Amino acid sequence: MAVRAQFENSNEVGVFARLTNSYAIVAVGASENFYSVFESELQDVIPICHATIAGTRIVGRLTVGNKNGLLVPTTTTDQELQHLRNTLPDAVKIQRIEERLSALGNVICCNDHVAIVHPDLERETEEIIADVLGVEVFRQTVADNVLTGSYMALSNQGGIVHPKTSIRDQDELSSLLQVPLVAGSVNRGSPVVGAGMVVNDWLAITGLDTTATELSVIESVFRLGEMAPGGAGAAGPNKESIVESFY
Amino acid sequence: MKTTWKDIVPVPTNQEFLDIVLSRTQRQLPTQIRAGFNISRIRGFYTRKVKYTQETFCEKFQAILDGFPRLQDIHPFHKDLMNTLYDADHFRIALGQISTAKHLIETVSRDYVRLIKYAQSLFQCKQLKRAALGRMATICRRLRDPLVYLEQVRQHLGRLPAIDPNTRTLLICGYPNVGKSSFLQNITRADVDVQPYAFTTKSLFVGHFDYKYLRFQAIDTPGILDHPLEEMNTIEMQSITAVAHLRSAILYFMDLSEQCGYSVADQIKLYHSIKPLFANKIVFIVINKVDVRRPEDLDAEEQEQLQNILKADDVELLQASCTTTEGVSAVKNAACDKLLAERVAQKLKTGSNSAAETPGGRLGDVLARIHVAKPMGGVTRETFIPEAVKNLKKYDKNDPNRRTLERDLEEEQGGAGVYSFDMQRDYTLANPEWNHDKIPEVWNGKNIYDFVDPDIETKLAALEEEEEKMQADGYYDSDESVEEAEDADNRMKANLIREKRVLMKNDAKMRKSLKNRALIPRSAKAKRLSQMERALDSAGYDVDAAGDRARSQSQSRGRTLTRGDDHDDDAMDIDDPHKAIARAKSRARSQPATDRRHDGVTSATNKEKAERMFKLGQKQMNRMARAGEADRHTTAALPKHLFAGKRGMGKTQRR
Repeated sequence: MAVRAQFENSNEVGVFARLTNSYAIVAVGASENFYSVFESELQDVIPICHATIAGTRIVGRLTVGNKNGLLVPTTTTDQELQHLRNTLPDAVKIQRIEERLSALGNVICCNDHVAIVHPDLERETEEIIADVLGVEVFRQTVADNVLTGSYMALSNQGGIVHPKTSIRDQDELSSLLQVPLVAGSVNRGSPVVGAGMVVNDWLAITGLDTTATELSVIESVFRLGEMAPGGAGAAGPNKESIVESFY
Repeated sequence: MKTTWKDIVPVPTNQEFLDIVLSRTQRQLPTQIRAGFNISRIRGFYTRKVKYTQETFCEKFQAILDGFPRLQDIHPFHKDLMNTLYDADHFRIALGQISTAKHLIETVSRDYVRLIKYAQSLFQCKQLKRAALGRMATICRRLRDPLVYLEQVRQHLGRLPAIDPNTRTLLICGYPNVGKSSFLQNITRADVDVQPYAFTTKSLFVGHFDYKYLRFQAIDTPGILDHPLEEMNTIEMQSITAVAHLRSAILYFMDLSEQCGYSVADQIKLYHSIKPLFANKIVFIVINKVDVRRPEDLDAEEQEQLQNILKADDVELLQASCTTTEGVSAVKNAACDKLLAERVAQKLKTGSNSAAETPGGRLGDVLARIHVAKPMGGVTRETFIPEAVKNLKKYDKNDPNRRTLERDLEEEQGGAGVYSFDMQRDYTLANPEWNHDKIPEVWNGKNIYDFVDPDIETKLAALEEEEEKMQADGYYDSDESVEEAEDADNRMKANLIREKRVLMKNDAKMRKSLKNRALIPRSAKAKRLSQMERALDSAGYDVDAAGDRARSQSQSRGRTLTRGDDHDDDAMDIDDPHKAIARAKSRARSQPATDRRHDGVTSATNKEKAERMFKLGQKQMNRMARAGEADRHTTAALPKHLFAGKRGMGKTQRR
């Protein structure tokens, strides 16, 4: 299932929300429309938490998490941390980390098994990621961008990377992550796929500008909706047609 | 590249052409000339008329020349097709004639304009103009045939199908009446005439269809008979042109049933004779009318011939029946697939340079976008999809029993901006009643979250237990009262000392703060006696003696108790000159310390000399009207009041 939404006229859904397999965090906005998009898809399935991080609304960029845990930056206040603790299930470990690169969502991209992180991340942070999120950690870049979290959207079933990623990089990342990857875009050609959408194993929420083609690529690579069982991925059988018409 | 020529403007016949040009000339330049006019004006008018006519002719001819395609500029397929249909020589000659006529008319115009210059009268001018226009009309009238021919070409060209020589193309060819047109009709929506006689199709027909999201064109060609190229007529030549020039998949249709009127052997022979045209193309042999006779039913000899073709040239055999539509789409799909694979392979080959393994540039970008990177290892990543997702009813906005969302609550309670959501509603605490408990952020100046300890309960229990145990052991029962009294005394004194210290410190601080007052040294400051007494007292001295002494030495303020000698304060001050004079006389005369005029001058001559030098020194200053040697005043060079403003009288120069 892939849904299009907008946060206060902004298409960058991944900036204002964080979606995992066991909880969702949504920014506090002027109206409840954005929150209710999550609610209509996730109510009674996983807890959805209205939250701010360090008083800001860019919760998706500042936090990183998966089924097992949640990492928040050092700027998070005690009250916000307590609120998150009270709302999220007890099985989810929450950890505040001292890290110079405080926009954790931009520098870390993870699913429930693997994390691809910014090459300059501190050693302690790397250990905390491995412990709290229960993942293997790899320092990597996506299409020569160090902001792995911004340029990559990842679930346990697939991933989308920056549209200019070379085939070799895609293959390398794919073998690290052990999930299929495609180079794609969201929000009518935006390369910041990580910030433009949120995804978990059964749901993707993208910006309202996302085209039908982009959405179909997303659905097929993340195996959402009708693509769920054994999807062939994007453009498998039509490769020839695409080469023929675009080159 | 241009593939259709539907927008050529119609070519008029020579008579129409003449009418158009002359009536336009007459309309634009009506005769407005009389015999009495100046001859140069008359000449000018007729010159204009001749020139305008010539320009109109040339413009029209140029439009015709530009409208028709130049054979050397178009795709070889279109060039050959035009050659077949209209005869390239004829076409070129017709256009050449038009071009020549244009040049001739220009020459005529030039000549006659030159002649009109020398005309002496209105009559002469008019005759010259008539002659010029007459000659132009004659030239135009001679163009009857080329104009008629070009108009026919234009009409035919406009009706030619829009064949794009570079796109994905299926080309259907074969003997007449083997079912080419009915195949086209089957796979596309082209409305082709299908009739049971040979040469129903007399020209190329194009149909379009979609396969794998791509637009393909299928071209139906007229039937070809097996005879040498020179003997072929226009209709067959069109097929040959198409086969020779289009980059396509060729479907060679065969009719094994021989209903078309040609034997299988003939059809195979035709294949061999046009085979040279198939070089570098994908070729399929399509056996049509399989509902009547299949290739398996052929006799041994024909079978062998057919197999020879298939083996020798790597040609695929396909079967179809257009009447029952059996195998039609299979033929189409097979052909399209192979064509597409061919074209893509070609593109990949040209797009990637030989050195690099993976193509770069634009092709690389396209390939990177459609590449699905599959992991190499056999690990499958486990997914975590809760059961609840599968049972979740799809949210429908119009369903009356839909789930209540935050948005619904918001609507009910005043809308965005008014509604404030309950942040603590979804807390998962041990007791739901705690959800809305108020917890202060700061308690007694301390951030309470710094003291949050997850094990607080157990630690407290342990402490209480220890306390109880100590109480039970009599730990708090021992008596220490004696020591306590001494301690208390010391403590009291220490406290007093501390207090005093603090007070002194504060005092000093207070004193130090100047608050914009003058800094007065302590010794110069007035001190009250009481202050001194208090200070001495607190330091433990006897105050009385010191106090008495101080008091005895003090000066009282106010009026003195004794009367002054002869001084009357109340009397008015009066200047008494006698007094002053007497005073001055009694005083010794004051002498200046030195006399600067005479100091250092030893003799009268020297003095004179010094005075002369002094005067000489003054001379320059006096001449310049300086007040002294420091006077460097510069007067205004242009005094404003003399050079600006209105002149009351006189001029700027002289007043």
